[in-house]
Amino acid sequence: MNRTELKILIVAVIISITGILSIYSNTYCKEGEIWSIIYKRQIIWTALGIAVYLFISRVNYRKFWDLTYVLYFLALLLLFIVFISGVVRLGAQRWIRLAWFNFQPSEVVKLVIVVFLARYFSRKSADDMSLKVNRYGMFKALILPFVFVAVPTFFIIEQPDLGSGVIVICIFMAMLFLANVKLKYIAFFLVLSLLVLPVGWGMLRDYQKERLLVFLNPGIDPLGAGYTIIQSKIAVGSGGLLGKGWLAGTQNQLHFLPESHTDFIFAVFSEERGVLGALLLLALYFFLIQQALSIASRTSDTFGKLLASGIGLVLTIQVFINVAMNMGMAPVVGLPLPLMSYGGSSVIVTYAALGMLVNINKHRAVF
Amino acid sequence: MRIKLVGLICVFIFLFLAAGLLNLGVIHYGKYRELSEKNCIRLIPQPGSRGKIISSEGSCLADNYLAYDIMLLPQDHDLLKRSLKSLAAVLNIGLEEINARYKAGYISPSMPVTIMKNVNSRRAIAVEEAKSGINGVVIQPAPLRSYPYGSTAAHVIGYLAEIDHWRLTKLADYGYKTKDKVGFGGIEEKYDYYLKQEDGGLSVEVDRRGKIVRVIGFKPPQSGKNIQLTIELKLQQLVEESLDGRNGCVVIMNPYSGGILAMANGLDFDPGAFLDTASRDEVKKIVTDKNALLLNRSIKGLYPPGSIFKCIVATAALESGKMSPSTKFFCQGGLTVGNNEFACWEKHGEEDLIQAIAHSCDVYFYKTGLLIGPQAIHDYAEKFGLAKPTTIELPYEAGGFIPSPLWKRLYRFKSWFDGDTANMSIGQGDVLVTPLQMARMMSVFANHGKLVRPFIVKAIDGQDVSNYHRDSIELPFKESTVDVVRRGLRDVVTDTQGTARILAALSVPVAGKTGTAEVSGKLSHGWFVGFFPYQTPRFVICVFLENGGSGQVATGLAKEIIEKMTRENMI
Repeated sequence: MNRTELKILIVAVIISITGILSIYSNTYCKEGEIWSIIYKRQIIWTALGIAVYLFISRVNYRKFWDLTYVLYFLALLLLFIVFISGVVRLGAQRWIRLAWFNFQPSEVVKLVIVVFLARYFSRKSADDMSLKVNRYGMFKALILPFVFVAVPTFFIIEQPDLGSGVIVICIFMAMLFLANVKLKYIAFFLVLSLLVLPVGWGMLRDYQKERLLVFLNPGIDPLGAGYTIIQSKIAVGSGGLLGKGWLAGTQNQLHFLPESHTDFIFAVFSEERGVLGALLLLALYFFLIQQALSIASRTSDTFGKLLASGIGLVLTIQVFINVAMNMGMAPVVGLPLPLMSYGGSSVIVTYAALGMLVNINKHRAVF
Repeated sequence: MRIKLVGLICVFIFLFLAAGLLNLGVIHYGKYRELSEKNCIRLIPQPGSRGKIISSEGSCLADNYLAYDIMLLPQDHDLLKRSLKSLAAVLNIGLEEINARYKAGYISPSMPVTIMKNVNSRRAIAVEEAKSGINGVVIQPAPLRSYPYGSTAAHVIGYLAEIDHWRLTKLADYGYKTKDKVGFGGIEEKYDYYLKQEDGGLSVEVDRRGKIVRVIGFKPPQSGKNIQLTIELKLQQLVEESLDGRNGCVVIMNPYSGGILAMANGLDFDPGAFLDTASRDEVKKIVTDKNALLLNRSIKGLYPPGSIFKCIVATAALESGKMSPSTKFFCQGGLTVGNNEFACWEKHGEEDLIQAIAHSCDVYFYKTGLLIGPQAIHDYAEKFGLAKPTTIELPYEAGGFIPSPLWKRLYRFKSWFDGDTANMSIGQGDVLVTPLQMARMMSVFANHGKLVRPFIVKAIDGQDVSNYHRDSIELPFKESTVDVVRRGLRDVVTDTQGTARILAALSVPVAGKTGTAEVSGKLSHGWFVGFFPYQTPRFVICVFLENGGSGQVATGLAKEIIEKMTRENMI
């Protein structure tokens, strides 16, 4: 185990432990069997995550080059299963029920899209370091990859999981940028997205529209989504500089916060640990992301470069949207905070991504 | 290159988040600390009122009345104890009871707890007066559904009840939630989306004592839209009174527009019973009654039309050109078709078409049916709108059924025999219709050849929508055909041997057809379908009595209704 591998693992585990403590604090006084085991489950997830991390960091990441299409179609298949079971059950469906847990394919899709685009924009040959994208026209640089991204995105938004759908589109644009796609194409895509926005608005479900509108003015729905935003802001704000202390966050203990062990875990944490604690937490995330980007810039293989920076970006986007949402600076879209939020799929996928990262770092010298 | 830029963007993103943190936790720390310390946000939901259902002339068939819920805001322990004690005294309930209710109703510290539901205004005023002495009491006006006319037009209106699983799965995307009250059957169900109110509410900041300091957010509740029907309340009541609990139904319709003026079932129920948990036994009785009290027979009941069907056979015969009004057949009280003997109910002798209609001669129509064939009858029945729903705006309308040789071959694996044709010619066999379809069919003769589309909603939220329904179909019949059948229908009443001659005594000239549909093992169904006044019809009436005995009984009921209408100056 080299130093980078160890550093990343330690930081990730610290974040996970913080998350488990927050989940414990959030659930320990809720009544009911389910709540009392939730933090234990998160511990199991984290342990499994670490195992996945250690495993993947020992698998040559070039294997993922070969497996790209397998992974892609596997992810599509999973999404399709969710879609079908959603149709059958006539309602929202984000999970596949496995024996003892609910598996959430949209988490996996985020990582698979990064792998897919990293391969799409790079070359197999390790000798030719130049990105071929410079010679690409509009179709190959923009339209074709977009089609590949749009299919899973459609299924995700249809679930309906607007948050993950938006994330995937963000990842797509970020990867275009990283892959040196001509800026005019990216600008074209952005303009096109803005033009399509009014149409997309019409396709949203009522509650999704409401959430977006509520973000602009929490006052219009004081009992629903607006209430969540207000309570979350109070939780973060009332923590002050030093926080109220572990198990002492009143907002959280008295159940003012809905969804607090998943999407609003950051508010729970910062209420109890204050601004300083939260800043420290953000610093840890920042460290992970910087590691990813520096590994990317040190790697000469284009696939590894794109993959590493892509992983860094996925983390950045998720942390940004989730934390901003907790502070009332982004709409409530139902998105986990990586490593912190309760949920096995998210934890394991994040550890897997970090594992890949470490492996890229190991092999960069080989090429 | 771009990676460096991305790194820079990441730095900015984290600085942005840090700034947000400092803004909330340091700059505005005081404000949020205060808000959190006092846990001082309370949510007070404010229910809106469901849209009314109004009759044609403006009486409220489904209305709302104000009841009050007494609620208590969660507050600190000692204060709560005192508040509960004084509230118990005002509401006149025991201390233990009120404590139990508080505990049972508690949801979260931000939501007021309902202590007592549906309090009348006198009690609410008593609480209001004592309010200054009780901390955090909320008197919440809650509009509740009421049906001022009880069971009048119950089947048209429908009723309200808690949403069931099946409806929830279909309606969840439209913002329906568990425990919502939704319409079941009738207008309440079909127009639920319009009638449905939107609940609003307040989020308020309260001080340490639980007194409201200021309002943080407000969403005004929105009332549902009112639905005005074409039903005329007086006529509806008159009809229901005449039906007097008999198993059957009456439809009265405007023959030109298709507007339903009255739609009554003898067996009815009180929609108000479903609103109150106290009347659960009554609801159980309504739902389990073996006479199907909830069934709107006018649109959901499928019955053989009996002799009423002869109007269609006569039209088919004249239109096909195979017969003329003067075609005569001889009735000797029965006819042998194949190996079976088909009886007529009397020996009519030689008759022409008009006489055959007037006397409802079965043999004449056996012979007519055999002459023109089953497919022609089937096709003409479809032209009259049978075998499919009329698309009236009431849920779960039945379509009915008209047999044909092809159908019998495909689904029964049998050949079509002449006996089937004979049966079909007098509206027996597999022919099934709804009373509303019969009224619609009769309106073709009343209005000289137009097939109207029955409708019952006149206006939504004051906007007249009846125009949308006025897409009647001009049936391509010869004028003479309609006139001949029409004359026959008039003779049913005026002829000395006409089957509805008891109507001749009325001051209004009526035309129509009686029908007796045989049911194996039970009393026959009785039909009377007609229109009046004969020259310029303003009403089409369909009277149907399930196992009522015969068409004569139905005709008697029609007579009673028309007599009353005359007396009330409605005609």
